[in-house]
Amino acid sequence: MVVAEQQRAETPFEPLLQFEMEMGAFLSDWHHCDHLSTFMARMISHNRTDPVRHSNFFSSALNELLEVSFRGGSSDGSIGCAIYRHEATERVKLTFPCPPGQRQFYQEAVSKTRRGNAYARYLDAISTDFAPSREAVLLDLAINFDAEIHLEENDPPTITLVVDLPLEGIVS
Amino acid sequence: MSTAVLPAPFKAEFDPNSQEFSLSGVVRPRSADEIAASISLLRDAINSVRGVFYINVKRLVQMNNTAFHAVARIILDECRTRSDLRFVVVTSSVVGWTERMFGHLNKIEPQVSVEVYDSTFYPGQSFVEDTSFIPILRAQTKMTWRHERTILPRHGMRPGIALADICCGIGDFAVLAQKEFQPARIVALDHSKPSLAYARKVAAEFGVTGIEYTYGDASEMLLEDNQFDFVTCRHSLQIFNQPELLLKELYRIVKPGGRVYITNEKNSHCLGEPRAQSIQWTYNELARLLSHFEMDVELGPKSRHYLADAGFDDILVESFMVTNLDGDPQDFADVIAGWEKMFAAMAARHGEAPEFIDRFRQGFRDHIFAALHPKGYAGWPIWAASGRKPL
Repeated sequence: MVVAEQQRAETPFEPLLQFEMEMGAFLSDWHHCDHLSTFMARMISHNRTDPVRHSNFFSSALNELLEVSFRGGSSDGSIGCAIYRHEATERVKLTFPCPPGQRQFYQEAVSKTRRGNAYARYLDAISTDFAPSREAVLLDLAINFDAEIHLEENDPPTITLVVDLPLEGIVS
Repeated sequence: MSTAVLPAPFKAEFDPNSQEFSLSGVVRPRSADEIAASISLLRDAINSVRGVFYINVKRLVQMNNTAFHAVARIILDECRTRSDLRFVVVTSSVVGWTERMFGHLNKIEPQVSVEVYDSTFYPGQSFVEDTSFIPILRAQTKMTWRHERTILPRHGMRPGIALADICCGIGDFAVLAQKEFQPARIVALDHSKPSLAYARKVAAEFGVTGIEYTYGDASEMLLEDNQFDFVTCRHSLQIFNQPELLLKELYRIVKPGGRVYITNEKNSHCLGEPRAQSIQWTYNELARLLSHFEMDVELGPKSRHYLADAGFDDILVESFMVTNLDGDPQDFADVIAGWEKMFAAMAARHGEAPEFIDRFRQGFRDHIFAALHPKGYAGWPIWAASGRKPL
């Protein structure tokens, strides 16, 4: 695990695009998640093998991440989203304010995406939850988008989700 | 048909005749309450049917987890109370995540299955997407381009536009259009993955960049409304069994004031001298044969009618004849040789008698003879038409 973490950290991802926005402005309209994910997906997909379908996949994944930050967010501080690329993988780094009580929640939710029973947990979430929990959303990304999800240790009050999405391989 | 129209661009519909509930567009609600009308429509629809209930998501462009969980819960709950009912989720191979997401429902309830509708979605698909046809397609484009490069500007092609080439095949038209007219953007879409792979390979080898080749179904495109100044769809309406569906999509993606350009043939008007009678017999029979595969290769002169019915105005129609005198006659002969091989296979598939197939092939060989004859003439007529989307 330590080796894998080190390899992940050392992989030379190139920056593509990023935005930063006041949380208050972000939280003022739910459709920001849709608009931002659609726009950023289009921008970063233009030179992928199949730009239209890559954009569709990427927008799906990024929208879920933005919705997670929207649902858990407080209006203080700002949200930052940076997208990087290395070969067939895009890396999303999403930084947003996280109340101290939720830090542990994210650590556990992220950890569960890598456990052997992730798929069983995901199926359980589909069959029992009328509304998806943030944990179920992260499981969805891991299972349906082959995402590898990590947390970057920041100083409170922010938290950074690092999500590697190998969508080029899925799309093409 | 009952319809629940939610904030655009999402739509939920139920067609009782086909027992099909359809979700289309982008559905990203903040809570399930926002799609309560659709959920209610889904529940009522399930309660009104017997046997098989279809859930059509092939035009679903985006769906967030909130919507997916709400829909999934209804389906799974109904599975538990309606053991008599089978649920079939109809997805598209173009929007791959729908197949993945809805596929999980089968792991929970075996009554739910997923079908990818476009694995075989029109009768002539296996022939059209056959990779052995690639060299013929290249030669065809080479021959038609001599005419189209002068025709296209009259129909709206010009530098700096956003261009979509729908049913782009091996992408050679898009490359030629880029070199000749320098559009600002080109999207080239086709449903044949091998053809697209070939297109990308050729583009890479020739250093061509800036063409967005994309896999898609022309009758259910992921492309958004009103995006393009000029949309081309060449030799495709005639081989698809529902050309009006394609035109509806072409109309949707072109900007108001922009134009859609289509080319189609009238195969029975292919001609040649000498051996005119044999040639004419074969092409008449070809049109009849392809009608069994729901292809209308006589569509060319009907272009004006189709464009008008689709809502276009300012319709322009013209025709041109590709002939053996345009360039190297061997190119013409090679194309006809390719047609002979492909169409003879289709005749055999249709169960035609060996004597018929022999005579059928002879007409193509006579067309080649006319093309290569030092005093011969061989022609392949094509209709080019375009219409403007009203402002």
